[in-house]
Amino acid sequence: MAAPSSAAATPLSPVVVPLWAWALLALALFGVYLLLQENGALLTQAQAGYLHELTHDARHALGVPCH
Amino acid sequence: MRFSHLLRHGALAGAVAGVSAASVLWLVVEPVIRRALAVEDARPSHEHAHEELVTRGQQVVAGILTAGIVGVLFGVAFAVVFAKARHRLPGRTDQGRVAVLAAIGYAVFILLPALTVPANPPSVGDPDTVTRRTLLYLLTILVGALLAGLLFAADRWLGGRVGRDAVRRTAVVLLGAAAVTALLVVMPAPDPIPGDVPAALIWDFRMASLAQLAAMWGALGLVFGLLVDQEEATVREPVAV
Repeated sequence: MAAPSSAAATPLSPVVVPLWAWALLALALFGVYLLLQENGALLTQAQAGYLHELTHDARHALGVPCH
Repeated sequence: MRFSHLLRHGALAGAVAGVSAASVLWLVVEPVIRRALAVEDARPSHEHAHEELVTRGQQVVAGILTAGIVGVLFGVAFAVVFAKARHRLPGRTDQGRVAVLAAIGYAVFILLPALTVPANPPSVGDPDTVTRRTLLYLLTILVGALLAGLLFAADRWLGGRVGRDAVRRTAVVLLGAAAVTALLVVMPAPDPIPGDVPAALIWDFRMASLAQLAAMWGALGLVFGLLVDQEEATVREPVAV
């Protein structure tokens, strides 16, 4: 007998997650990458340098490794 | 529960999270960054200041905006993961399930990398090691996310074999603690702190950074939980006029 006492009275039916939601998730994480991590892997050095300086304070504050 | 509604709630909760994070950045973190920049300016080798791409004012404003946008992006990502994981998360209410997921997110994305590659103010990082530190940081998050999934799987596996909930939960927590300890032992140490940076500055910055991130994840979990609960309530009792 392993009745999970913590389970809700009525089991929840799974939410239907459309396929495009995963693309959206990837897009959101990619946006976070661009803002906080991009240091020249995708953009040119000059563009990445500018982006890095612009988002500099947030990168430090959000605990992301920075120069 | 419709996915499109969850997504809307996620974006809204993310916006509140972003505003919270931006406020703490401005009020708590920026004063510490100013102290760090003073240390940097005092260095004789500080010559690259002449080729500055953006002004300090632009950096402050753009930093606040960045924190806000990151909040919205995390809110959207949170909604997708919550929609997928909702029926498996522990908790009797949606508010409880959201709180559990937000706590897991804070542990995986914030606390774990804060232990392996702690936040540092300007004036500390060595530009030559930024790629290595970034990889360690991302690797920590990846391992943390895998570990969270593994612990859920272990919980389900033990559920069929261990009768008592308390014993099962204790076993899962011990497993997680052992895995985190192993990760911390294996991970190489990041850069040393330069001698001219006061220890108090490092401490204040790390606390301020964690406070900002706690504000972000706390606001995300609270507002999203409230919105989802509100939706559940209207579904349960349709218009009690």
